[in-house]
Amino acid sequence: MNAVEAKHLSKAFGIRKAVDDVSFELPEGAFLSIFGSNGAGKTTLLRVLSTLARPSDGQAFIYGIDLKEDPDKARECIGMISHASMLYPDLTAEENLLLYAELYGVDDPKARVSQLLDAVGLSHRRLDQVRTFSRGMTQRVSIARALVHDPRVVFLDEPYSGLDPHAVEIFDNLIESVRGDRTFVMVSHDLAKGFGMCTHALVMSRGRVVSFAPKDQLDYDEFARLYRETVGMGVA
Amino acid sequence: MAKKKLKLPEAGQWPDKLVIPALAVGAVLTTAGFLMAFLYAAPVNGAALDSPKLVGDVMVTHQQLLSQKIFYFHMPVAIVSFIALVFAAYYGIRFLMTREQRFDTCSRVAMEITLLFVIFTMVTGDLWTRFEWGVWWTWEPRLTTYLILMLIVIAYFVLRNAVDDPERRATYASVVSIIALVDVPICFMITRLIPSSIHPVITREGGMAPDMAMTVVIVLVGMLLVAFALYRLRFRQARLDERMQALKDQLED
Amino acid sequence: MARPSTLSHFATLLRKDLRQEFRTREMLTSMGIYALLVIIVYGAALALTARGIDIANMGGGLLWVLIVFTSLLGLGRSFAHEKEQGCMEGIMLVPLDRSVIFLAKAVSNILFILVVEVIAVPLFYFFFMTGQPVAPTLPAIIAPLLVGTIGMAGIGTILSTITMNTRSKDVLLAVLFIPLIYPLLYACVTATTAAITGTELWTDLFVMPLVLACGYDVVMLLVCWVLYDFVVSA
Repeated sequence: MNAVEAKHLSKAFGIRKAVDDVSFELPEGAFLSIFGSNGAGKTTLLRVLSTLARPSDGQAFIYGIDLKEDPDKARECIGMISHASMLYPDLTAEENLLLYAELYGVDDPKARVSQLLDAVGLSHRRLDQVRTFSRGMTQRVSIARALVHDPRVVFLDEPYSGLDPHAVEIFDNLIESVRGDRTFVMVSHDLAKGFGMCTHALVMSRGRVVSFAPKDQLDYDEFARLYRETVGMGVA
Repeated sequence: MAKKKLKLPEAGQWPDKLVIPALAVGAVLTTAGFLMAFLYAAPVNGAALDSPKLVGDVMVTHQQLLSQKIFYFHMPVAIVSFIALVFAAYYGIRFLMTREQRFDTCSRVAMEITLLFVIFTMVTGDLWTRFEWGVWWTWEPRLTTYLILMLIVIAYFVLRNAVDDPERRATYASVVSIIALVDVPICFMITRLIPSSIHPVITREGGMAPDMAMTVVIVLVGMLLVAFALYRLRFRQARLDERMQALKDQLED
Repeated sequence: MARPSTLSHFATLLRKDLRQEFRTREMLTSMGIYALLVIIVYGAALALTARGIDIANMGGGLLWVLIVFTSLLGLGRSFAHEKEQGCMEGIMLVPLDRSVIFLAKAVSNILFILVVEVIAVPLFYFFFMTGQPVAPTLPAIIAPLLVGTIGMAGIGTILSTITMNTRSKDVLLAVLFIPLIYPLLYACVTATTAAITGTELWTDLFVMPLVLACGYDVVMLLVCWVLYDFVVSA
């Protein structure tokens, strides 16, 4: 079964189509990078796939669950890491994770949370308020938050913004360590980075898919050239 | 697909053909009503005079209230503004159900008509209080309700201006229009029902004489037609504007 | 992993709001200080008249002015944390009934406003009404205060969800909030004043407004509850 699937997916309001007739199929365990200039519809596509926005036309499936029919069921297997941490700054790291664990109804939330804090290497700071954390540490807690209910599909929305190179490295290693057979979908401006991590690449322009292919069929230089031609800006 | 069957209001559909007749008939009826108010409807008695007097050929025992003629316009305008609000909320509900921008445009235009007629209501109502009751303002239930309605409608447009994303703007506007429609009758009921020693409730109760009712109905129908014509004209303009914007966007591509 | 019940979602969200507030005391301190400042302004405004006039007749109105503006301040802040780090989206990604978000936030707002009232109302009494004999019906003001607070928090919660995504949020919240709660305010002021003055026929001016205010609460809360899904998903 495909982990993520879009069939003629559109998100329009009035005459403006932010996402226009997008179709693709992503197998389980894949890492999809979505490329495109500002306003190409990447983030909107991600919002539709993660049930934050309703598609106006077409269908989207997460493990065969139609997002329009049963968004709540789909939400159970979706995690999201974005440039905003989605953490309450005045609560401690542990409290934040416990909050999400309880909302998702995770079995034995306490054990799950301490296990996750161990995984992101922040057990020693678990009783500190998130406000006191550096950007890199906040983003690590954010990874733990996104994984609290063990989602099978994880969306990454510009996760690197505001991270210094060292934090980026830690972030990448963490993502690699939690990868397992999870499926990832990432939106990023960074062509080299996005291309380096992915197994599939999707280029968007003006809401449409310009190209969608597994990486092993692509050559980086060739791809960078195509990207530059179609997207034109934000070149790596 | 069901979605394609959805009938969307669009500029140039059949109601547009009715605009000019509606405007003409509305103008005639309103003018007729205006004349009737002065020539046909009997004057209403005000305070009793000390002794009967002869005015024209009629013997009168009470002050004749010329200002009461405002009533023939005040009431229809007030009713029309509320009907326009009902339409705004109706299209708001349609929008929330279908997510079609068209219904948001309809709702917005209906709200503009509401604002126009609410302002008429306030002006005529205030003239009324001034001449009938001798004060510029009184917290009388109907006046209060319309003041609140006016403020809500203004708030609606302030809200529209403060949201950038069109879909979000349309959703919020629809929600506020529905809340407004629920709030306004409650407001009227509460200000009306609560016997307050602080704000004296001044109302002139009693049914309307047939000649009065006739005049009111004629003006009301006239005003409704005018409101309908204005609505269609404004909607047409808004739609053409949207379509031109679409063409501009396409040219940019 | 079993999906928790609606009730446990509600409790979790409410606990989160309360815990956050106990840690920062941001809303309670700012609302409390604001209430005190309004009382001080009243002191100046009534400086020349306070002895001469019958404060009992005005007390209800003044008290409600205090409550409305203080609540407005708190309501405007109530979604600041949700917006700040995109937490609202985090909550929206959880499979839960959207109206639970409304209920939890409305209840936390009700609690915060009530706490501030518990402090502000005695202060108001202390500063302005101790010079006069107290009507035996005074404790009855609790009923309109409670009903009014519930209604204001309900409407205020949906409106501040709307305004948190707009430019000039605080002004816009006031512009929408005050006309919409006018009927509730009118009813509550009447009932409160009736209880403060406690004249012979006070029940006439107390019961009916209170019933109407309850009616407003029921209708408006239902409407807000139904519409909240649309607002929060936009």
